[in-house]
Amino acid sequence: MSAKPRATGPATQTGNVIRDSAMGLVPETVDEIIALNGHVWRDSLVPPTLLEIIRLRNARTVNCVFCKSVRYDVARADGLTEDRAELVADGYQASALAPREKAALALADAYLGFPAGMDADAARQVAAEFSDAEVASMLVALMCFNFTSRTAVSIGGMPEDPLPIMEVSVAIATS
Amino acid sequence: MTEDYSSVSLDDALAKAGPAAASFARLWERLWRQDHIPPELLELCRLTLARLHDDAVELAAASPAGVTVARARRDAVIAGAAFDADGFSEGDRAVLLFAEYYWTDPQSITDAVADDVKAHFGEPGLVFLIEALGCLDGRIRAARCLRAMSAHLPAKEPAYVG
Repeated sequence: MSAKPRATGPATQTGNVIRDSAMGLVPETVDEIIALNGHVWRDSLVPPTLLEIIRLRNARTVNCVFCKSVRYDVARADGLTEDRAELVADGYQASALAPREKAALALADAYLGFPAGMDADAARQVAAEFSDAEVASMLVALMCFNFTSRTAVSIGGMPEDPLPIMEVSVAIATS
Repeated sequence: MTEDYSSVSLDDALAKAGPAAASFARLWERLWRQDHIPPELLELCRLTLARLHDDAVELAAASPAGVTVARARRDAVIAGAAFDADGFSEGDRAVLLFAEYYWTDPQSITDAVADDVKAHFGEPGLVFLIEALGCLDGRIRAARCLRAMSAHLPAKEPAYVG
């Protein structure tokens, strides 16, 4: 992983971490990426706790140092404790997570896998807990989380792993 | 019935997610209307990712509306032969090589591979390419998940009223 950033931001200080990052160099996409982040958190068909669980699973898989350290305020307000967040590690199917949380992680692993896709058992597990609309909502969230974390890693300049856990407001990326 | 979702035809299936899906669809549309990376080269990136995912449905999908790729270039990318074939510029090859590294693992991207893209398309071009690859790869992955669910689960019976 490159410790040196391969692109630098537009030197703006708008307070939005996306617009002020290197992604701000692409005006054709940056507004929609910010809007997407906002919709994913504000208009989700599943609760913030579930979104945060799949975001953290993605962060671990991609190994994005920033993403792993962040805890969004809305998920904590929704009841996600640090002890529970740690249960997204490998072996989560045998953990104390709720069936709905395990099913969300099964969907995340299907999305993040090499190859992506799911076997019949995982498909039944996901379908037993979520409607088609909820699955679609989580897939859009996974695309957003995966897209942004892989972008951060690809651009480079990651700090040493790990960073301390830090609670942040979703507003830093959505408004 | 198994639905043949691909990155190109995914949006109807995701639309039930509401505003977030609509936003992601708009982002997809914008990828094909920008001046950083030629849309034809972006389509070759989609085919590169489809080949690496070994995804026959994705490889068979029609190109996004308005994007045309020369047959010989398309065939070379699908065959994994773009780096040896005629008809590819150094800039094309820099982008396609970056796409292969990206698919393998963004952590594996070397500074030399990234610098080569920047040499041809500038810093904004590199950032756009990274965003576009994330969007393309994500849509391929989401389509594969939806196809798998469709294949493994019984079709829901339609509800009739009256």
